[in-house]
Amino acid sequence: MTIDLHIADTAVAPVSAVTSFTRRRGWLGRAMVHALMIFLAFVAIFPVYWMLVSSFKAENEIFSTDLWPQSPSLENYSFVLKSIPMLRMIVNSTVVSLATAALQVLTGLLAAYALVRWKFRLSNFIYGAITLSWLVPFQVTMIPNYVLASKMGLLNTLPGLIIPHVAAAFAVMMLFHAMKSFPQEVLESARLDGAKHWAILWEIVVPNLKASLASIAILAFISAWNDYFWPLLLSRSMEQSVVQIGLQMFMTQEGNLWGPLMAASTMASLPILLIYLVMQRQIVQSFMQSGLR
Amino acid sequence: MSQITFQPSAPVRSMPALGRLRLGFDIAPWLYLSPVLITLFVWTYLPLAEAFQLSFYQWNMLPTSPQRYVGFDNYMRLFKLPEMRRALWNTLIYIIGLFPLSVFIPLAVAILTQDLTGPLRNLYRALIFIPMIIAPVVAGVVWRWLLNQDHGLVNKGLEAIGLSPIGFLQDADWALPTLIWITGWKLIGFSTLLIAAANASINPAYIEAAKIDGATRWRIIRDIRLPLLSPVILMLSMMTILLGAQWSFTYINVLTGGGPLKSTTNIFFLLYEYGFSSMTVGWSAAAGMITFAGFTVIALICLKIMRKRAIYDN
Repeated sequence: MTIDLHIADTAVAPVSAVTSFTRRRGWLGRAMVHALMIFLAFVAIFPVYWMLVSSFKAENEIFSTDLWPQSPSLENYSFVLKSIPMLRMIVNSTVVSLATAALQVLTGLLAAYALVRWKFRLSNFIYGAITLSWLVPFQVTMIPNYVLASKMGLLNTLPGLIIPHVAAAFAVMMLFHAMKSFPQEVLESARLDGAKHWAILWEIVVPNLKASLASIAILAFISAWNDYFWPLLLSRSMEQSVVQIGLQMFMTQEGNLWGPLMAASTMASLPILLIYLVMQRQIVQSFMQSGLR
Repeated sequence: MSQITFQPSAPVRSMPALGRLRLGFDIAPWLYLSPVLITLFVWTYLPLAEAFQLSFYQWNMLPTSPQRYVGFDNYMRLFKLPEMRRALWNTLIYIIGLFPLSVFIPLAVAILTQDLTGPLRNLYRALIFIPMIIAPVVAGVVWRWLLNQDHGLVNKGLEAIGLSPIGFLQDADWALPTLIWITGWKLIGFSTLLIAAANASINPAYIEAAKIDGATRWRIIRDIRLPLLSPVILMLSMMTILLGAQWSFTYINVLTGGGPLKSTTNIFFLLYEYGFSSMTVGWSAAAGMITFAGFTVIALICLKIMRKRAIYDN
């Protein structure tokens, strides 16, 4: 599902329309608008803030309602690092997510190029088969997938987490739309100059699609990092697993180790939050261009 | 948009030697498409066919134990199982319950805050989007801590104002709404930004013209904004219907395991339980086929409605 929307930042409404509206509303109206947004922002980030604060609270004050730890401590973090190979799992998550993102961009690029460049028998059918694959819920195919992965010896391996995600329908679709709006005359003239398809793709198409390629890579990285279900089925040992699985170790039947659990959650979220801090605008825009995923 | 397509029969001279074999068709596109097609075939479509086949067999997933053909028994059995009915019903509740969070509230907020400008606007946007990038497992774990019956901040707040604590995840009446809330928490900000973007791209000339004609603020919203927002509203609605129950899977798995008293299970969690907990592969496959068929029909209906009803600004 790709939707082509003008993102609010680029679609600037004429000043007259905007100001006449704001002027009509008094300060009370404007205060209400801010109150609404502050409330929404609070609901969105307070849980994340509470995770962070709780992770720095030592065992003796974890149950206090203080919004800031009395004596911030790294006790929970050292507990996490001692109990599970957390750093190893962060490295694993990074490897899996980077590989998934790179491969999805590459395979998506090749497929979209073929679909835009050539009109051949079955090309509509192929595009349909690719785009409709998101209709198949993973829970329907998980058993055959699991059986196949175990036959291929992929259980409890990092390649097992990457291989099924080498291609993604959303990457093909987003690149297909990006390439279709690319001026075809440029491609045509390059072709008349005798350039080979491979060369046209890498020397003309790719440099002009850098923004789309970056968007897709970011989305693929985040969704691979956050994936939980497939690693849950495949993993057998902490050493060959990813951070999302590590969190479970601190949820036991008898009760939860809340401090360490929040510290582990913070570690699992930190890379994504840092990327967001740096590339906030681009990430929001990428998500909005791809629709929901 | 003008679409220029390249006919394979056009200039043969520019084709790489390998590209055009004497097969009567061009092999080059297939080479470019092969990584995606092979991946989707091996990991999506072939497994779908295998699941269809497994739905007629009895099997416990052990490679050494035989698969026994049982015909339509799995399907017959499913319709008699009360947990299947419960799961289907809950799936519907999840979807309906998500609508306020994924569509209605975001729509209201986007329209109410449309005049907002300045640097604060960007800050709000950046903050309300954050839940969308938080991993579902982390979201589940953090809400589990906030809503904990004995020590959670929310219950301590309730106690402070004189109310008795609520077992958000332990009480069968509260657990399902709680999981819906956690699922929706991730979506509110994203939906709001999506609708706000569509709202901002509405041609201001329409609004100006209506104002000159003396239209009230409400009439402008009802007669101009809502119809022009219909594509994005329908898109979000369709996503909620088709994917809403799937989004809650992780929270069910991490937080409740379908309980208490099966109150939070849904069809996707049931597929997982039949497959990997009770090892009744045939039941899982049969229920999976019913789910897939059902959602495919719903998807086709949704797409049809979207084509018919969505009003585009041409």
